Formats: sequence, structure tokens, C-alpha cells
Amino acid sequence: MTEAAKEKAFRVHLMVCAGTGCVSNHSFEIKEALEKEIKKLGLDNEVLVVTTGCNGFCERGPLLVVQPGNIFYQQLTVKDVPHLVEEHLLKGRPVKKLMYTPPKEKTPIPVLSDIDFFRKQVLIALRNRGLIDPEKIDEYIARDGYVAMGKALTQMTPEKIIAEITISGLRGRGGAGFPTGLKWQMVRNAVSANGGAKYLICNGDEGDPGAFMDRSILEADPHSVIEGMLIGAKAVGATQGFVYVRNEYPLAIKRMTIALEQARAYGLLGQDILGTGFDFDIKIVRGAGAFVCGEETALIASVEGRLGEPRTRPPYPAQSGLWGQPTGINNVETWANVPSIIARGAKWYASIGTPTSKGTKVFSLVGKINNTGLVEVPMGITLREIIYDIGGGIPGGKAFKAVQTGGPSGGCIPKEQLDLPIDYESLTQAGSMMGSGGMVVMDEDTCMVDVARYFLSFTQDESCGKCTPCREGTKAMLDILTRITEGKGTEEDLSLLQDMALAVKDSALCGLGKTAPNPVLTTMRYFLNEYETHIRDKKCPAHVCRQLNVYTIDEERCLNKGKGCDLCRRNCASDAIQGAKNEAHRIDQSKCIKCGVCFDVCNFGAVKVD
Amino acid sequence: MINLTIDGKKIEVEDGKTILQAAAKNDIRIPTLCYHPVLEPYAACRICVVEVGLRGKTDLLTACNTKAQEGMEVQTRSKRALGARRMNVEMLLARAPAAEPIQKLAKELGIEKTRFAVKDPNEKCILCGLCVRACEQIVGASAISFVERGTERKVTPPFGEPSEACIGCTACAYFCPTGAITYEDKYGRKVIHEELHLGPTTAIRVPIRQAVPMVPFIDTDACIHFKTGECKVCAKVCDREAVNYDAQDEVIEVEAGTIILASGFKSFDAKRIPAYGYGRFPNVISALDFERLVNASGPTGGKIKLADGSEPTAVGIVHCVGSRDENYNEYCSRVCCMYALKFAHLIHEKAHADVYNFYIDLRCFGKGYEEFYHRLLKEGTKFIRGRVSDISDMALTKHEEGKLIIRVEDTLLGMVRRIPVDMVILATGLEPGLDQNQLAKIFNISCSQDTFFLERHPKLAPMSTFSDGIFLAGTCQAPRDIPDTVAQAGGAAAEALALADKGTFALEPVTAEINKDLCSGCQVCVGLCPFTAIVYEKDEGHSEINDALCKGCGTCVAACPSGAAQQKHFRDAQIFAEIEGIFLV
Amino acid sequence: MPKLTLEELAKIREKTKRLTTIREGGEYRAKVCVHMGTCGIAAGARSIMNALMKELEERALGDVLLTNSGCAGLCSREPMATVEVAGQAPVKYVDLTEKKIKEIFEKHVLGGRIVTEYALGIGSEKTDF
Repeated sequence: MTEAAKEKAFRVHLMVCAGTGCVSNHSFEIKEALEKEIKKLGLDNEVLVVTTGCNGFCERGPLLVVQPGNIFYQQLTVKDVPHLVEEHLLKGRPVKKLMYTPPKEKTPIPVLSDIDFFRKQVLIALRNRGLIDPEKIDEYIARDGYVAMGKALTQMTPEKIIAEITISGLRGRGGAGFPTGLKWQMVRNAVSANGGAKYLICNGDEGDPGAFMDRSILEADPHSVIEGMLIGAKAVGATQGFVYVRNEYPLAIKRMTIALEQARAYGLLGQDILGTGFDFDIKIVRGAGAFVCGEETALIASVEGRLGEPRTRPPYPAQSGLWGQPTGINNVETWANVPSIIARGAKWYASIGTPTSKGTKVFSLVGKINNTGLVEVPMGITLREIIYDIGGGIPGGKAFKAVQTGGPSGGCIPKEQLDLPIDYESLTQAGSMMGSGGMVVMDEDTCMVDVARYFLSFTQDESCGKCTPCREGTKAMLDILTRITEGKGTEEDLSLLQDMALAVKDSALCGLGKTAPNPVLTTMRYFLNEYETHIRDKKCPAHVCRQLNVYTIDEERCLNKGKGCDLCRRNCASDAIQGAKNEAHRIDQSKCIKCGVCFDVCNFGAVKVD
Repeated sequence: MINLTIDGKKIEVEDGKTILQAAAKNDIRIPTLCYHPVLEPYAACRICVVEVGLRGKTDLLTACNTKAQEGMEVQTRSKRALGARRMNVEMLLARAPAAEPIQKLAKELGIEKTRFAVKDPNEKCILCGLCVRACEQIVGASAISFVERGTERKVTPPFGEPSEACIGCTACAYFCPTGAITYEDKYGRKVIHEELHLGPTTAIRVPIRQAVPMVPFIDTDACIHFKTGECKVCAKVCDREAVNYDAQDEVIEVEAGTIILASGFKSFDAKRIPAYGYGRFPNVISALDFERLVNASGPTGGKIKLADGSEPTAVGIVHCVGSRDENYNEYCSRVCCMYALKFAHLIHEKAHADVYNFYIDLRCFGKGYEEFYHRLLKEGTKFIRGRVSDISDMALTKHEEGKLIIRVEDTLLGMVRRIPVDMVILATGLEPGLDQNQLAKIFNISCSQDTFFLERHPKLAPMSTFSDGIFLAGTCQAPRDIPDTVAQAGGAAAEALALADKGTFALEPVTAEINKDLCSGCQVCVGLCPFTAIVYEKDEGHSEINDALCKGCGTCVAACPSGAAQQKHFRDAQIFAEIEGIFLV
Repeated sequence: MPKLTLEELAKIREKTKRLTTIREGGEYRAKVCVHMGTCGIAAGARSIMNALMKELEERALGDVLLTNSGCAGLCSREPMATVEVAGQAPVKYVDLTEKKIKEIFEKHVLGGRIVTEYALGIGSEKTDF
């Protein structure tokens, strides 16, 4: 866009979602198609196409929001574009068939704010999502960006900033929930070694499977993180900041790099910021993708260029962190919350949430759920509201079984606890944790033993291997779980598993190891019967653990309905199926390798699994 | 001071000490694996976990790096602590079943067998990281590190290739508690005969067990600190703070009336005779090496062993190495025959091996020496007369395989023989010290052609030198054995004492003098005087002779251009008068 | 680029805000909706829209919403537009020309006074948005 066009007003803004989810659903092609069509119809002076960060409703991508009007279009294809532009932009008739229709309903909902998915959300960390182009600092500034920083730099003392953050009740959004104000106070109080600098780090090493909160914020609103860090820098007296982003987030790195350049060009980073004599700058450090580097001491080691493995605390990074200097390290989401708190006041922030957990939390809602996406909700909201109101319930009319929160280190919460108001304490009490905000929904077709095995295989793979319990324990537990899912488990395995899980939780060095047994412990706590069925009856109730399945053919159905179509026999990898065309087929159990292909290919429902 | 209880016992420790240190001071044992007192705590093995109660909360913490705090209640063997410790040991037992410390610990904790899958029954590495930390924190080389993660974790140099950062100090192997790290030496095995070819020594050591004074020194060539600036382990563990890295050689000035020189000899370097293979074959050793090997306080405790640790069955002793040889030293070193016979006797007695002596002549002079030779003959020691031409490991026959072959012309049989042996001792001769010439200059004494110090008279004054008050003792004057050295030293001491007791000595009557009136101050004489007896008096503008130093050699007299220097009693005028007198007759 | 002061930052904010308020769905001074069904476009609604766009640009206004809609149902009186000043009932104007709409923009949209001679009526059916 030229400078002149930048100054120009448009009557319609088309907000194309360019979060990673939508981009991989070809949203950039949609954008190009829109621009081409608009030009064709001569509307290029009236309509502006804007690429925004993640809108959150990733399930329905690629997304487009037409402003004014807040009209929400979803699941667009390039083919839809000419019709959409002509109808909506030229003739002013919103296109109903491209709008969102909730499951089980027939009428589409045109306006974004009327959709349940968005209605119940409260946006603080994601306050600019879908509203600005993250690659344009001016648009962030227009959304009152850098107002809080101006206030902090010119009107507030460091003590006042820390007091404000403390009163707001903001706690670390990385998972552990350490009070942010207290952490900053520790960094401020700490004396730097040899008169060296103090540092700030933004932890963007998001590694939980199915979690993308940090990525979305970095992609949609990088300046909110920069502004948060600037405020933090003033509060603790830091002069250099680092944003640690995993290299698997190229878009986040790109947008953050652009944002840093723009902020530097405006003098919002660097020396003598806003003429206040305050110096601060930020560098991006790209992580190499080790999960354990999300642990703060491991992350610091990684920034220093050392092997990414944790060390014991104390000393805490606030006392001795990066290169032995006091270091304030907070998660992306925590930093993104800071500007709003400073701008709108601690009292406002503290009025949202529960007595112990204030403000909002971003969750990535994934799994067996209708509305997959990124949601920001006030603390204290119940799981039921998130899953059923925002998430739109379980697809296919299946029954809800459990929700896994807190990533691979979290636990599974059963349906009895659906009305649990979410905050740090309640989740811990339920055997899970807040974590960075992953939320994986599971339905009746999920085998809980398999779930525990899956998460443990992840932590086992990601364990850095420094301490014995995490390195050896996760592997040994995984071996046992694999044994159980293969029908080779014994009663002793259960008690051994329980003992090991507790010992690992108790004696591991860092958060990764201490929480790795959580999926095992919670599934054993809430779904012990599934374990027992696997061990005693050698059955997997959800038919997930294939080695426990017994495949049989309903001979009558095979002959009558399928006329012995022979498809199963031809696809059988181990020649376990006997029969010929127009004959009833039979499975030789001694040859069956339980791959399940016959079940998948049978068009007549003649293959049964038990 | 901090007050806490460990296992119910009230304990007071200094601020900053860890629970582990507090417990150790009070004889409470907490097992550890990845802990080492000179390294930073790592807290990785989680064996030292203890249950700690503080301010109403209990937690499982590692004793190695948790600082003792006021009011802590520590339980080292509570159910919770033991449970976790046991589980961790059991898991380590599955990981490294061959590691002895783990087997021991498992036994202590009542674990008979691990319930977990054993990947490699020969695995020894427990991933304690002591080697990695020693390399980084002690050596400062950081040549090895962990790679991979989880159960794939292992210790390796970068990319598994030999690292240039490695200084070969083997600190990693030293710190390894399970023997998982081994190191190779040049011959593919750990050589006991090192440098002096006699076993690995540490960089800080007492030179020998009977050393006087009994004080360790730092070998700066071997010391890691002097290579990388790191380490300083010796200072860390020395309670007396006696280690001083800045200590330098000092020059001490002593005023003395008499001086006895006893600066000793240098053993002939057998490497100078390449054909004998010293330095190439680990089992070809010098006489001094053998003395150290056979010494009860030596590396093998006095046992005669080969480089691979086995005992020899045949040993050859080569006489006159570097002595009686036109290529090296023409003189006889006097001591070799007898010490070689002593060696032969010791080998016969200790290792029951066959001993071959290769000699030119056997010089068994002196009391009891010939008798000793006869005793050896009776013991069955073999004597072959002839000079050894070379020593090799090239076998020609089956029974020569794996042996060292000594090739020699047996002059009595008149044929060339090949003698296969396991070990060869080279009876190296005695040579003057390296700085013999320099010493001679300092003390104004002379050396004979072979660079040994020259005595004043070979028969009448064997201890004295041409400089009064300077005496000689021992091998700095000539090769000699211990009894001779002691005798000569006694004589030198007596002479020195006699002089000291008298307090004066008679001056040479025939010395030079300088006529001040005639001396032009040209200083030609100053440089020429071999006894540095002439000094130039700058203020007065003429040279002067020190009567105590002047030996009356007359050099200055002959050289003086103005005739100012004159020899007392032998003045030019007197000499000319004498000449004239002769012609008059 | 010179380093910004707080004032300069505020200037950037004001300027960009005017251009992007449209996205907020928040408070506006007024909304103007040009009816752009086939009948409207045929009667010249496009030129009305262009005139309005020009007004917005010249005055650099960010708090006036310019939208379009389909046919308003009174095809004979096209081009038509609806002006809705915040907090007041919408007013429909008919038989518009560029000159007329400029007058309406100045008097009604900015000034808050209804231009009765061009108006069809007040408080008609509400526009969708």
C-alpha cells in the first residue's frame, strides 16, 4: 500500500484472518481473490482488504469479517469470492450461505458478536485480534496502543507499576500461576552481579500438543507483547529483553520481527524512549523446538547458547537468571495482559475472575469439539460453558467423556466435574493444572488408557534426560501403559504404575517431570475401571487399543446384505479372512493381526469389533 | 549459624551450607551419585532426596543443593524419601546394570532385581554428568557434553569425533564413578610406564615417597590450571590454604667462607641410541626406571611388571649403555657393572625370571664385589660377552613372537646371537650435569676434557680445586659409586672445616701487583684475568689486584702495555737481571 | 525517522483511529447507507456513494459510517440514502443528486439538522446495520 492510500478512508474494511490456521486453509489466496474482484468491480477506492491475526474460530477458517456490520463469513473458498463481493459489497446484500450456522440449527447468524463462540468471550490479551493488521504499528497505536507505556514511562514510578500489577492479581499465564507483581518485585530488588544489566524474557516456547495461544498472540498482536515488556522493563529496571519463539512458528517470528523494527523506527524501543531517558531493546531468540525449553531455567540456558536443560531453583531467575543476572521471565500471554492493566487500572482487572485468579485466560479448544479455536474467557467460567456454549458441544451426538487441560503435563477431568469453575487452584485440586491453556476435549470414543499413553509418550520423548525420575520414569511408565494397551498388563502393573507416578511427581527436578505423571494419575483416579477392563478382561471399551479388539464377521449379514463382496478378504494383509464371492466370509483369529482394515472397508456393517 | 534437625538430631551449621554438608558433618550419610565436593551441585540423580519440613510445609528436596535453613526438619530416611530414592535407584539399575555404585546402592536399599526393562546389561553410564561438569568446571575445556534427550541422552565430544578442545587430561575418566569412561593410550592400553614410563602421576604430588622435605609440588607442565586457568581443585580441598599457584623459583644469597660442590651427574639418555628402542618399546627401560619400578614405594609396590601388568619370564640387561663407547662417552662409568649385577639378583629373586647380562668386561673391583659376581654365577644368571647391536620386536621364529629380541655378537662363541626376552634394562652410564660448564665458570674452576670438574691434583689433592676454599665431592668430579662418593665427601668436608676453623689461609707469595703511577686504566688486564682478581677503580682511574684471589699466573703482567702490572718476586727487572747473569757466566 | 514524543504518538493514534474506527462496531457520529439495489445503481447510486466517499476523505472523518444496502423498496424515488445520526431516528432521503447529498452530509451528518426538503420521512424501518 502506498503512503497516500494509507491516509485514505475506506467505506468498507474486509478483515481477512491470516492466523496460521487460516493461512494453511489458503486465506492468502482468498485475500488475493478479493483484491482482484474488488478491482474488477471498481471498488478499490471504497473497500480495503486487511490481513489480521488469528480470529480464534479456527474450526471455520478461512474467515472473513466485513466491517462495518461485523458480518462473519466462514469456510470461504476462492470460488465464493466473486459472488460475495458482488452481493455484499456492490449490492449491500450479505450472503447468507457463507455465514455460520450453529450445529443443529438452520438459520445462519450474520453478526460475529451474536455467535455463541464469540459472545461469551472476554478479550484482554486478545483485545486486538481481528481488528488490526499486526504488521502495521499505526493500527496498534490507533487501538490505544502504547498509551499504557506512555503512562508508565512518564507518570509512574517503578514501585507504582509493580503495585498496580500486584493489585490487579495477574498471575503467570505460562501455567504455574506465580503472581506477576511479586516476580517483578523480586527482579527489582535483586542486585545485579558486577553491576551488570537486568533482563526480561518473553517465553514463547509453546510446546503443548494442540496449544497455540502464544502463537496467536504473537501473530495477531505482537506490539501488545512489546508494550508489556516495555512496561515491565521500566518496573524492574531492565535494559534488554528477549523474545524466545520456537522456530516452528515462522509467521510469529516474521510478525514479531516486523513489529520490533517498526517500534524501533518510532523510537519506542532503543535509547531515550519518548525522550524520557529510558533505554530498552528487544531481541528475538529462536528456539530449536525442545519442549523442555519452555521451562524457564532451561529456556535461559538455551538463550545463553547452552544445552537446554533445567537446573534447580532457587536461585530463581529473578535473582540469578540470564548470564547470572536478575531476569524477569513471563509468558507471552502474561506480557500481553500488562498494557491493559496499566491503561485501565488494576481495579478493573481485579474485578474480573475469581478471588484467587483474576482476569481472563486464553484457551485453545481442541479435540472432539464442534468449535475448535482460540478462546479468551474470564477466570471462574465453568468447563461446561466453555465446552458447550462456546465450543458448541461434542460433534456427532457423541457423549462427552473428559477434558484434558494443561497440556501433556495436565490431567483429565471427567464429566462429573464439568461445572468446575476454572481457576489455578480448582484445576490443581482436580488433579490437573492450568498450564499454558491447552484444552483437549474427548468423547466416548476415547480410550483413557490410550490417552495417558499418548501424553506420556510425548513427555517421555521431550524429557531432556537430566534427572533420573523423568528420564527413566517416564520411559518405564510408558512401557507399562503400552503393555496394558496391548493386553499384556497385570494387576501388579497398576500398583507399580501408581507408585512410579507418585515417585516421579515427587522427585523430578523440573516442572516437566513433576507434572508428567498427571495424565496417568488423573486417568487412574477417574477412570480406573477402564484400566481394569484392559487388564482383567483384555478389552478396550472404546475399541481404540487395537490389540485388544476381536474382529468377527456377521456371516448372515455378509451373505444377505453384501452378497459376500469379498472386499475384506482382498484387503486383508495377513490372509486371515476365508471365503469367496457370494459366500459368507470368516476371520481366522489365529492369523488376524488386528489391523482393523476389514472393519474399515466393509460397506455393509458385517464386520463387528468387540 | 543455622539451627535445624536432621533425623531428629539437633544440628548447627554455618549459613550457606547445604543439607548434605550439614549431614556429613554430623556423620549422617545421605547417598549421592551425581554429587562431587569440588563441582557445582547438579541435582540430577535425585538419589539424595530428603523430606524437608519447613514452616508447616513438607517437600521432597535434593540434599546436595538445598541450603540449610533455620528451623528445617530434615528426614533422610522417611517413607516418602526412601520410596522415591528406591524407585530412582531401581530405575538406574535398569539403565546401567553394570555400574557398581548402583549395584551397591540397590543392595543397601534392599532392591534385589529391577522391575524395569534392561536395555543393555553391560551399560555402566548413569548419566550423572560428573565427567561433563569436570571437563567444563575443572578443566575449562568443555570438550564433552550431553547430546540427545530423554533415554537417548549420552555423553560425547561434538559430533562424536575426537574433539580439538580435549587436552587429554583424562579428568572425565577420573571423575567417572562407574568406570564407564575409559581412555586409550598410545599402545592401546593403560601404560604403567609413563613419562618416566612409570605409572600415571598427578600434577600435584610429593616427588618421591621418601622426599625431604615431605611437601608436594605442582608439575606445571601437567597441571590443568596452568593449561586452562581453571581447575584449582587442590586449593579447593586444602583446608590449610597452602596451595600457591604464584610460587616462583627464588634466588637465595648466602655468604660462605668455603664451598663444597656436589652437583652430581646426569644419567645417559638412552634415546640417543635409537637401535636400543628406548621410548619406542614400553618394555625397554633404563636403569633409573628399573630402580623406581623395583622400589617398594614405587608404582607397583616393588613388583617387577611389564607394561601390560604381567610378570617377565626373561630379562636382558645391557651393560655400558653410553659408556666405553667412542660415539658417546669414552670413559667407564664405574658403577654400572655392579648395579647391573644387583638388578640381576633382584630379578632372579623377585620375578624368578631368566636374566641375561650383556657385557664388555665385568669390572667388579673392590671389597666383596667379585664375590657378588660369583654368587650370581651360582644363581644361574647368564653372562654374554659382547656389545648389543640392536633390540627389536621383529620375530623370526615362533618362540620369538611377542618378545623383544636382543641381537648381540657373542665374542666368546664368535657368533651372532638372538636372545628373546620380555624386558630389557639398559645400564645407562653417568654423564656430567647439563650445566657443568656454567657452574665451572661461576666458581672459577676448571673442567677436564670429559666436562667433569678438574681436581687440583689427581693423587695429592683429589677434593680441592684451583680456587682456594672450593672443594669437590661425588660424581660432579668423576663417575664413582656411593662408598667412594661418601668417602670423598667426608674428605671434602674435613678440608672445608679445617679451613673454616683456621679462619685464614696462606696467600700465594707469587702474585701480581699494579703500579698505580704507571697504570693508564686501559683495563686490558681486567678482562684477561682468569680469576677475576682485577677490578678497575673508576674514581682513582687505575686497576687494582685482589691479593686473595690472584693466583700469580702472570697473564696480566705479560699483557700490560705500560708495564704497570708486575709479578712479585718475578719482576721484569729481576728476570732480565737473571737472564743477564746467565749470559755473564 | 526521528524518535517520537508522546504528543507525536497521540497524533498518529488520532489519525489512524479515524481511518479504522469503522472496524470497531462501536460509537459513531452517524451512519449513512446508500441503497444500492439494481434500481439504485441504475439511477446513479454509485455517484452518490462516490460523492460521500470524497466527503469522508476530504474531511478525514473516521466516525461516519458509510454503508450500502440492497433495494429499499421505493425504486421510483432512487437514488436513496438513509442517514442515522447516533441516538436519533434514521431519516430516508430520496431523489438524490451529488449536490443534494453533499448538502445533506454537511447539514445532517455533521450538523445534526435534518434537511427536510429532501427527506422522505423520519423513523422508517431500521437498516440492518
